[in-house]
Amino acid sequence: MKKYQLNNKQLPSFIDHLKKQGTVFAPHKKGDTSYSFEKVENPNSVVLDYNRTLNSVKKYFLPPREHLLSFSKTDNSFRKGSFKNEKKIFLGVHSYDMKAVLKLDYNFSQGNPEENYLQRRKDSSFIGVSFIPDEFHFSQSVGIPLHDTEGFDIYLEQNSDGYTVKIITEKGEKLIDGFDRVSKAKDISSNHVQFQNKLKYNYNRLPEVFEQSWNAAVWEEVSKKCVGCGTCNLVCPTCYCFDVEDNLDLSLQTGTRDRSWDGCMLNGFAAVAGGENFRETLAERQRHRVHRKFKYISDITGEPWCVGCGRCTAYCTAGISIVEIVNQLCDEYEQNYLNRPAVVGLNAERL
Amino acid sequence: MSIAISDVKSQELYCPEIAKITAVKRFTEKEKWFDIELPGGRSLGHQPGQFVQVSLFGAGEAPISVTSSPTKKGSFELCIREVGMLTKLLHKLDVGSTVGIRGPYGKGFDVKSFKGKDILIIGGGIGIVPLRSLINYVIDNRKDYGRLIILYGAKNPDELLYPDDLKLWKKSNDIEYHITVDQGTPEWKGNTGVITTLIPGLDLDLPNTITAVVGPPIMYKFVLMSLKTKRIPDENIYLSLERRMKCGVGKCGHCQINHSYVCQDGPVYHYPELKHLQEAI
Ligand SMILES: Cc1cc2nc3c(=O)[nH]c(=O)nc-3n(C[C@H](O)[C@H](O)[C@H](O)COP(=O)(O)OP(=O)(O)OC[C@H]3O[C@@H](n4cnc5c(N)ncnc54)[C@H](O)[C@@H]3O)c2cc1C
Ligand code: SF4
Ligand code: SF4
Ligand code: FES
Repeated sequence: MKKYQLNNKQLPSFIDHLKKQGTVFAPHKKGDTSYSFEKVENPNSVVLDYNRTLNSVKKYFLPPREHLLSFSKTDNSFRKGSFKNEKKIFLGVHSYDMKAVLKLDYNFSQGNPEENYLQRRKDSSFIGVSFIPDEFHFSQSVGIPLHDTEGFDIYLEQNSDGYTVKIITEKGEKLIDGFDRVSKAKDISSNHVQFQNKLKYNYNRLPEVFEQSWNAAVWEEVSKKCVGCGTCNLVCPTCYCFDVEDNLDLSLQTGTRDRSWDGCMLNGFAAVAGGENFRETLAERQRHRVHRKFKYISDITGEPWCVGCGRCTAYCTAGISIVEIVNQLCDEYEQNYLNRPAVVGLNAERL
Repeated sequence: MSIAISDVKSQELYCPEIAKITAVKRFTEKEKWFDIELPGGRSLGHQPGQFVQVSLFGAGEAPISVTSSPTKKGSFELCIREVGMLTKLLHKLDVGSTVGIRGPYGKGFDVKSFKGKDILIIGGGIGIVPLRSLINYVIDNRKDYGRLIILYGAKNPDELLYPDDLKLWKKSNDIEYHITVDQGTPEWKGNTGVITTLIPGLDLDLPNTITAVVGPPIMYKFVLMSLKTKRIPDENIYLSLERRMKCGVGKCGHCQINHSYVCQDGPVYHYPELKHLQEAI
């Protein structure tokens, strides 16, 4: 693997170099404590040292709202939505968000591979950046090491003067090609970030817990606090459920068939005509959300569908923590199905 | 998990075909029947039990079962209950109007594997709609199947669908047809009582009987209990489930029952598959 040193003051010119090759998206500061991926206009406004963005880069491949069709009622004609053909470079992506993109790739390419997602997703390059885990991150616990580079073309690992640039793929090599201000890589051995394992069980033991989780007491307990706002769905980088509705413009003759993000925590999500709602209670809905992250898709793919970004916990209206939910499931599992304590202290593993 | 997405051949999934309504009949106050022709009279190519996504621009899209058999060529049929905005607007349409059609979607009844067997149909209310596709398929391939037994239940006589078919089933001497209504009227001469009351009296050739059940969610539990008492093996039972659906192609997540997407693995399920899905019944 080729490595270079990129000093902090070279960052703007590096971003300019990237901008010559495509549209660059990177984290920007929004308000006091919030960050957001935005298209880069001014390289100086990019912030690479951030804890988490409110939304992940998912929004570029599965936009919060998009036109599936535009139609005219007058002559019953329609056109499908269009996609911009542009080269996209995502700079400053954290390893868990990269993993989330790879998971969405799976969801949108298995079964019926969806054109809308795949068209938006193609021609994307990813430049990762290291981060210092805060109280909400737990990606290590779900099998994503801190400096996991899977999916990245280039990975920037922070050091005292800037970043160690690791070239991961050929595409990454091409991205940096012609940028001659990098120098020999610095030693980054001083950069020891300790990742706290927050889940009581390592991710590969969770399937046995989730085998026994259906009637756990935690669902009912959590539902007493939960208000069913769906925020946890909206901010999750691996949630992809959507709603479809037609919208007419003022002429009432033309309009669009739009899809928009939906959330399984919202009340009507599983309701059908005749008054039946298949997940009427908040406990049922919470159980469904958490099973989607740790059981349903995981049983097929062998990996958790939660990437440990901590967003659903950090932004929850009611202060509900997915880590606490899973840990309580582990406790209940131990009490009811095991007579030995959970294995703790897995922190050193996989770092 | 990493997929080389540039190697994936993507599909356009959401464009409907514009199809023409060629006949309309009113069955009840709430249900209407439509005959629909795809461009060029192309056949839909469905299996009994599959559904299509029906849409009207400006009003949206809904999953509706195909009620005609694939043996019928040139057009297909739907029966639509008016429950909300889209279905209300569909009810206003007449011959010559157009609708958008996507599909057919989902898994239907595996009619090939039913060959040589007796077929027991149990339809409650609007559940008879997808079952009629199977019934007509069996009628059109009569020699491939054994007995055809139809149990049909409705809330009251005014809610009975397919009046012409019902007459035909009643008359036919190779169909065993039993009907019941929850609440009779003074004119009603037939059985009254819920559909499960028809089951104990049946004389069946177990293990050679395939049972297909479709009805409102509440019906399944009771019918399954009666079938168990009747000692019909679970492997011989098929059910069709309704869930909210937005895409029909396994993407929107609305139809999910535990790990199963009803629009992909269903709506017709082999009962043994459903037993470990806690949310199914
Ligand atoms: C596989 C399948 C086959 C079906 N077959 C038939 C059929 O043959 N004939 C028939 O009349 N109906 C059928 N339905 C039900 C039909 O899809 C709904 O009645 C229809 O979507 C309601 O649309 P609407 O716009 O008129 O109602 P809305 O105004 O949207 O809502 C009315 C009610 O319908 C529910 N609903 C809304 N959208 C959906 C949806 N996409 N899926 C399920 N429920 C929804 C709402 O929760 C609400 O309670 C089927 C449903 C499924 C899943
Ligand atoms: S964000 Fe919190 S309160 Fe809102 S639905 Fe999710 S768990 Fe419930
Ligand atoms: S479930 Fe919560 S922690 Fe896990 S990926 Fe989604 S938002 Fe992040
Ligand atoms: S209807 Fe969208 S996933 Fe099944």
